[in-house]
Amino acid sequence: MSVFFEQLLNGLTIGSFYALVALGYSMVYGVMKLINFAHGDLFTLGSYLGYTVLVVGAGWVTANFGVWGGMAVAMLAAFLGIAVAGILLERIAYRPVYKAGRLPLVVSALGMSIFIQNGIMAIWGPRFQAYPMTAVPKEIITIGDIRITALQLFILLLALALMGLIYWLVEKTTFGAAVRAAALDKDTATLMGINFRQVIFFVFALGPALGGIAGVMTGLNYGRIIFNMGWVYGLKAFTATILGGIGNIPGAMIGGLLLGILETLFAGYVSSAWKDVFIFMVLILVLIWRPTGLIGEKTAEKV
Amino acid sequence: MKRILLVVLSAVLVLSLLAGCASPATPTATPSPTATSATPTPTPTPTGGGVIQIGLQAPITGNFAAEGQWAKQCVEVAAALINAKGGVLGKQVEIVVADDASNPKDSALAAQKLISQGLKEVIASYGSSVTAPAADLYDKNQVVSVGYGCTAVSLTMDKLRPYFFRTAGRDDTQSEFFAKLAVEKLGAKKIAIMHDNQDYGKGVAEDAMKYLKPYVDAGTTEVVYYDAITPGENDYSAAITKIKQLNPDLLFFTAYYPEAGLIIKQARQAGITCTFVGNNSVPTPEFVKIAGNDAIKGALMLNEPMPQFLTYAESTQFLNAYKAKYNEIPGSIWAVYAADALNALCAAITKAGGTDPDKVAAAMRTMTDAKGITGSLLFTERGDRKDIPYYTYIYDDKGELALYK
Repeated sequence: MSVFFEQLLNGLTIGSFYALVALGYSMVYGVMKLINFAHGDLFTLGSYLGYTVLVVGAGWVTANFGVWGGMAVAMLAAFLGIAVAGILLERIAYRPVYKAGRLPLVVSALGMSIFIQNGIMAIWGPRFQAYPMTAVPKEIITIGDIRITALQLFILLLALALMGLIYWLVEKTTFGAAVRAAALDKDTATLMGINFRQVIFFVFALGPALGGIAGVMTGLNYGRIIFNMGWVYGLKAFTATILGGIGNIPGAMIGGLLLGILETLFAGYVSSAWKDVFIFMVLILVLIWRPTGLIGEKTAEKV
Repeated sequence: MKRILLVVLSAVLVLSLLAGCASPATPTATPSPTATSATPTPTPTPTGGGVIQIGLQAPITGNFAAEGQWAKQCVEVAAALINAKGGVLGKQVEIVVADDASNPKDSALAAQKLISQGLKEVIASYGSSVTAPAADLYDKNQVVSVGYGCTAVSLTMDKLRPYFFRTAGRDDTQSEFFAKLAVEKLGAKKIAIMHDNQDYGKGVAEDAMKYLKPYVDAGTTEVVYYDAITPGENDYSAAITKIKQLNPDLLFFTAYYPEAGLIIKQARQAGITCTFVGNNSVPTPEFVKIAGNDAIKGALMLNEPMPQFLTYAESTQFLNAYKAKYNEIPGSIWAVYAADALNALCAAITKAGGTDPDKVAAAMRTMTDAKGITGSLLFTERGDRKDIPYYTYIYDDKGELALYK
């Protein structure tokens, strides 16, 4: 039984990464109806920003703020840096073609993905980089037979807390209501006095920034980063978004966590070689049964 | 205002496309201290222009960028040594590099690029699944290609490619060596084998099963876990938790170093203390960097002779020249094999008296006295290297390798 719980914990950890990245896809899609293909690369950029913070001056940040403090600084830097990058991305690549329709937007997104990925390679090099071992807490917590690193537990709790925060922000506050209204019908929402530009600013700052934090968490937890890693996470997070229902905040979270858990349990009890086949089979079955995903895209009832 | 924005946007798009296309296709964009690859002659006339051009296809970018860069540096050092001795047939050797980004799709493009430049001899490449499509193209276009980091048995045994050779050994030798080591030397009763479902990793794993079979039939040992992971991911905890529960004496990992580093790190974190054996693409400085010194202490590695353990006169000369230029020794044996691929091609060109691919291929098969950095350069009829020995190495707590006795 303890093996089952351990696998569940593994799945939750993987799933929370997927969910954080998926949130960014879903928020942007909800408001802009655009699949932001550059999102996975912003995630990578966040990971590299955190790495830079932790290695600069031979670990100056860790030495002065301690291991946990250093991690917090790295995450904050990635959060702010990627929020700025997200806003710039919208200004430079999406706003000018927004009125041209959806296809030019998607092409622009793909172009930015390649641009950011190659930019990262040009700055940090094509080889693997490793987060410094000294910047990561080494404590291992044992509950019965279950072993979990303090870092893994922290990442899991932080990810869940961030998801809770976003849920509260979008579903329970007045500003969140404005975001949802803009997602439902941009023109009517604008007529009602909602500042659409402000909403776009919000989703392009927060969505990528969450991905940036997830990038730092990935680096801290696994140690290994490379310029093209955004592809794998982007693909899985995108799958999670579709699974939960694109444009839907709780859908992205549930999709991400579910994907992580299903993937892990299948790999643990059946075969890790076939786990992706299984995942995409589940996705197809869900889409046949519910074409808009598990929770479904919210559409306005037109009377 | 609109117009300015449009101009900026199209500039961004064009730039990003350029960045996307340019970096895999023109490896000369990477700052290179040598002038050899940066000055292509306008008309490649390998036999008449005072130079002999030899192609190098390597993963300059992508997941195995480290291997590609070591290979490039090794080949350039080897070329400089040959040129210092007067070149080949009185002509200077010039290296033309193409990046295959360690994936099969870009590999075909890189091969096309070198073929269309009129090269007749190339060194290609690292990774068996990456080498296979390129080897097919070279073969079809009658270009002699010599692999350096591709050990899958299938490359020479699945079909005959008359123009393909390799300076690396073959994985069945490795798997047979592993089976003996695991059972007879280490006395492992429960063995776990993990591969990555690609030509190379799966090939080693399958051969290991084949050579373990007599021991399994005799009841001396059993294979408790045999499964694949997906390369490129970060979290292998599901597979590791499963292995932990099966409690093996030995975990044999048969794939590349990026995943090996994560697997051993996550396995030690999860509390798996069994012997870890990595196959011949694992022991590199990159593996140490990813896993960390603590995790790899005591890990066993199977490999053909590592660069730091080579003792031939040619290897001392080569390693000294390399060290003088880069202040370290090559990170893996595969990069050194790339240099030996150049040595083999040059010896064959000398013997054939020119770069005619048919004559060079025939010379490769019949050479008897060519000496390389890694020993005699002798090839079988199918293009395999003859007489490659295998050794076991062990990591100490500083991330250094020593011979394991």
